[in-house]
Parts: sequence; C-alpha cells; structure tokens
Amino acid sequence: MVPKLRYLITRMRNQGSRVAGKLGGVLLVFLCLAVHGLAQEPAIHYWHQGVMPPGAIGSRQLQRGGPLAGFFQPVEIKAPTGVSISLAVENQFGAPQEAPRRVGLLIGSVYRLRVTNIPLPQAQGMEIFPTIEIIDRTYAPTDQQVRFAIPIELAQEDIELAMQGKFVTRVIYLEDPHNVLPTRGENGQSWFEVATGRDPLAVADELGRPVAIVRMGGRVPDQGQDTNFYFGSPPWVAYPPRTAAQAKPIRETAQARPAPPAEKKPQP
Amino acid sequence: MNQTTSNGESISVARKVAGTLRVPSSPRSASAQNTAVIDSPILSNQGSIRAWRLAIIVLGTLILCSCRSPASHSPNQALPQSTATPVGWTSESVDKTTPVGWTSKSVPKTAQGGYAALPPGAPCPIGPPGMELGVPLAYTAAGPWTPPGIIPPWPADEYLHDGGNAGPPIRVGPKGELLGLEMEDTVARYSTLDGRTVVEPSNKVSLYSPRFHAVRQIVDVEINQQRNRATGVVEPVKPLGPRTSEPVGLNRQNLQAVRDIGTNPALQLRSRKSHATLLAELRPKAFDNFYRVYENLAVIRTGVYVGHEEPILAKGTQAAVAWSHKQAVQIYLDHQTAGATVVSQKPQETFGIGSAPNPKLRVVKVASTPVAEPGDEVSFTIRFDNVGNQPIGSVQIVDSLTTRLEYVPDSAQCSLKAQFSTQPNEGESLIVRCVLSEPLSPGKGGVFRFRCIVR
Repeated sequence: MVPKLRYLITRMRNQGSRVAGKLGGVLLVFLCLAVHGLAQEPAIHYWHQGVMPPGAIGSRQLQRGGPLAGFFQPVEIKAPTGVSISLAVENQFGAPQEAPRRVGLLIGSVYRLRVTNIPLPQAQGMEIFPTIEIIDRTYAPTDQQVRFAIPIELAQEDIELAMQGKFVTRVIYLEDPHNVLPTRGENGQSWFEVATGRDPLAVADELGRPVAIVRMGGRVPDQGQDTNFYFGSPPWVAYPPRTAAQAKPIRETAQARPAPPAEKKPQP
Repeated sequence: MNQTTSNGESISVARKVAGTLRVPSSPRSASAQNTAVIDSPILSNQGSIRAWRLAIIVLGTLILCSCRSPASHSPNQALPQSTATPVGWTSESVDKTTPVGWTSKSVPKTAQGGYAALPPGAPCPIGPPGMELGVPLAYTAAGPWTPPGIIPPWPADEYLHDGGNAGPPIRVGPKGELLGLEMEDTVARYSTLDGRTVVEPSNKVSLYSPRFHAVRQIVDVEINQQRNRATGVVEPVKPLGPRTSEPVGLNRQNLQAVRDIGTNPALQLRSRKSHATLLAELRPKAFDNFYRVYENLAVIRTGVYVGHEEPILAKGTQAAVAWSHKQAVQIYLDHQTAGATVVSQKPQETFGIGSAPNPKLRVVKVASTPVAEPGDEVSFTIRFDNVGNQPIGSVQIVDSLTTRLEYVPDSAQCSLKAQFSTQPNEGESLIVRCVLSEPLSPGKGGVFRFRCIVR
C-alpha cells in the first residue's frame, strides 16, 4: 500500500512539473499580449483636475521632488489701471499697492489676495479675494529670474464675472515653443475659454506646462477670525516693480543708429 | 525484489521509479545502490526543482526583456559620465556639467589630425580630437539648476532655437530647391566649379524667451426652484359601444413593366497645379557699413579667427549654446564624410575633404542677446567665408524662422551684393533668403544680417 502511494506521489510530482511548464507558457503568451494592450490606454492619465481645492495640486507637485520646495517663484500680478492689490501677512492683509506687483511666491502654497479700487461704476467699495497657487517653476538664468516672472493677469472681465458671483479659474501655462500661436504676446497675456466639459488643467497640459492657477469668485471673508480663508498666510518676497525702461524694451531703431560713413566719390 | 533499508522501507517500487527517471543502474555496492535507490524520490524532486528554476529564469528573462528599455540618447541628453554628475541647484553647479568620460582614442584620426572615414555603425564624433563631447563653452544662458545628465539649455520649452539643421539632412532637389528645410533651420547653399551643390548648416542659437498663455473656465451657480403640487383630473368616461362596419373590398392594380435605362457618361477629373511658390521679392537695401556691439569680433568683421575672442564668440554664437550630436555641423561633400581640418574646436567649424579641389564655406551665426521677452527685437548676424581653395557660386543663405520669430520687413542687409526674398514656411513665419549675386572667391566672405521681433 505504501509503495503504491509513493509511486502515485512521484507521478503526481512529475505531472506537476509539466503543468508548471504549461502554465509558464500560458503566462508568457499572456505577457506578450499584454504589451499590445498598453497601446490601447490613453496617452496621458490625469490625476489632477482643475476643480480640485486650492493647494491640492501644488502639494502633490512638491511630493514629486525636484528643486521646487522652498523656491520663491517670481510672479508679476497685473490688473487694470488703478487696481490695488494686497497680500496677506499673518492672517491680515497688508497695505494695498497699485498693480502691477512683482512678488516671489512659494510653490505649492496658496496665496489669498485682496483686490480693491476696482475701476467700475458698479464696484464702488467692492472687493474681491482671488487666490494664486503656483504649481511649477521656471528656470531662468540667475540674473534674469525677476525679469522673466510668471505673468498673472486679473483681467477686468474676470473681475466683473467674479463680482457677479461666478467662479473663474485661470490656468497659466508655459507655451511649447513648437506649438505656439503665431501672434505677438506683448499686449497682455493671451487666453482662451476652455470648452464645456473640459478640464482647464488638462487642456493647459496638452498645450504646454501649467505653472499657476488663479481662482476668483464672489466669496468674502467671515467677520470672525477665519484662518482658513488666508490658507495659513504663507511667506512671500517683494520685488521692485518693473521700471519704465524694462516695461518698454529698448529697440534698435534706424533713428538711434549712427549714419553709415559716406563713400568718398572722386572729384571730377 | 523487495529489499529493506535500515529505515525498514521497501525499495522495489523505488527502483521502478528510478528506472523511469533514468537513474543509472550501474553495478555498485549494495550500500551505494541502496543510497541511489533511496535518493530517487529526491532526484525526482530535484528534477522538478530544476524545471521550476528554469521556468523562473526564462520567465524573468522574458519579463526583463519585455520591459521598456530606455531610448537612445536624445539630443539633449548627456553622454555617460565617468565622474560624479553635478547635483544641487546652485549657479556654480552649471559649470560642472561639462561632460567628460570620452577620450579621443575612441575615434580614428587621420595623420592631419582630422577624422578618418568611420566604419558603418560607429558613433559619429561630435567634435574634433579632444572635444568629442562638444565645445566647452564658458558662457551659457542656462538656468540655476539642470537635471543631472542633461546638457543645457534646459528646459527646452523656455528657449527659442534658431539655426543649424535639427531634422534630417537638407538636400538639394532636382530643380535646385532645398528639400527637408524645416523651421529653425539655417543653411548655406553653394555650387562648386565641378558642378556639385553643397548644403552647409550653421550653428544653433538659443534665446531664453518663455511665453505664457492662459486657459479660463467660468462656473456659474444657479438656483432653480420648482414646486410640484398634486393635482387631480376628473374625466368621466361613460361606456359607449362604438360599432364600425367595414365593407370587404377588392383592389387590383396592374403594374406595367418599365425598362429604365440610364447611361452614365465617363467622367474624368483632371487638375493641374503649378509648382509656383509665393515669393515676396524684396528690393536690395544698402548695407550699413558699421558693426553692432555684439558683432565687434574679428571673425565677424574680417573673417579671421582670434583665439582670445573665443569666450566672447561662444557667448554670442550660442547665447545658450549646446553642441550635441545632431546639432553639430554635419557635412557631406562629394558623397564623402568630411573630416575636420582644424584641431582646436571653436564656436565655428570648418569642414572639407582632403583632396584638391577643396571647396569650403564657413558659416557662423550670432544673436544680439541671449534673452528676450515677447516684443523684443533680436538681430541675427551670419558671417560666411569661403575658406576653400576655389571659387564657389550660387551662394544662398537660407534661414527658416521659428514661429515665435517675426521677421522685420526690409531689415535684411548683406555686405556683398545680394538679393533678399522671403517665403512663408509651415510655422506661419518666414524663410529669409539671401542670394549672392556674384561668386565668392577664396578668402572672401561677408555678413548677412536681419532683425526679428519675438512674438
């Protein structure tokens, strides 16, 4: 009885090796087919969406590593003429200064602004409180970082929409130089409306590299101490405003150039 | 035959199994036989273990082979370095990114110090002996931090590039047109005395000029209220007995067979498109007989290269220059691989074939600024010199501007008698062309200059 059992066990072991070989073959075929299955996946799967709460995208961006943490990204906040902007310091808004303002903001933090002196007849005494979230940085030459600050425009149309109670989200992205619009970009920042149902962050990522998100709505702070309204008042760095010479780059014109030396013609 | 081991186990069945497992049954001592026979189940276990090991090894090998292997070195990727790569993001670390690790021994040389014809499949040298990894430039408009292993300028989406021949090599078509001319390409084309047409790219110029765009989304909150109250509709229905009598009818319709014949005439659509191109002829304009500040170099003014101008010229030519494998000047003359005839690598390079006659054209391109904002004006200067030993004719300098560079009308100038023309390219910018009216004698050269506005 015992020898018979041993024989059966040994035979079963041999069969097990055969079964293992067959299973291995099936697994190889499956792996080969799985490589083709990768091509059916979408090219990019977006983890982040533009409707995520402020700070969520930037904090995850910091987790990816790189020289992002602790870097003050220069930002130039632009607004219509006469508009004053103040940033929060220790859960209080500082002194308002007329736009444009150039400041350095931390990546991943959310900054609450107070926009006052809105030059609209229906906006007397009204204020709006947009937020700015920097999600990526630029790598300008060391002495040119402030000059090439990320422009963040609080357009008058956006301010009007915010005062009407609408929520405006602007995703600023760095254009891909091989996929740009053939238009001049000196007259303000060009922008376009995202299609209905599309995620502005995904659209910006398809066209370039998103670097900042501006959110603007009709929410006003509570009368009490609402520390969450200021998002912890992260630190920021003030840079001097752009000078007139920097605002209008000096161009080489025909009048500025010296006249070429006149050719000496032989006297008759 | 049943035998009993010291453990009291029967081995007759085990022998059968040993026979099936092809255990050698050579004459042994009784103890050895007993040991061999007793180990036969162990052998069967070892066989299955070997099979499992083989299966796992084969499986692992296939999985590793099926993984995505890293692509070949991209143009922006540095070559393997033997020393520690720079890390950190201080400005001092940028200068340490000069790749090292390749020696000039890896490339065959000729007796003159140039390169011999490389065997098929061999890596093409990037620079002359001693500088196979590119030109070590002292001044680059690179950022404060560069990932290890990446040659600046980085990141690429913050720079504008112009010059060189980034794509496939530009060839001359049967009608004399340039085939393969893409955006950002700058080449010079000339004809030799023996009827050959040579295309030679310039160096690459990079400007730090990021441009930002915005995407907007507006979300509106609306509150709609709708009150639905229960309503009752009373409609009395009284029983009715409708009765409809339909008479039985018979309809007959005779259809006559009709023959329908349709004739479709043969049609042929023929269209002829002419090969005309849109050319905007620009009238020749006088050349301003003075030089800009950034052009105050001997190689630009006189065509003579002076050693102490190397760092200044490097700054002007590249502004954030990186000579990589594809960006380096690739020259093919008379279906032969050109070899460098100069040993020291400069921001410009001269190539030619060793046997006479020896047509050579040196093309150096510089920009007026390494950084530019949208709306700024940038001047480009291209210095060309016939450094060969025979005249060359039909010299054309062609620059296909990238989308973000807008050519300033009537800004093209040339120190020699030339005609300028522009032509739209695929990037909704222009191809600026400078055609010299006269052949270029050996030792002669000139300057082609134009201005662009950064979009």
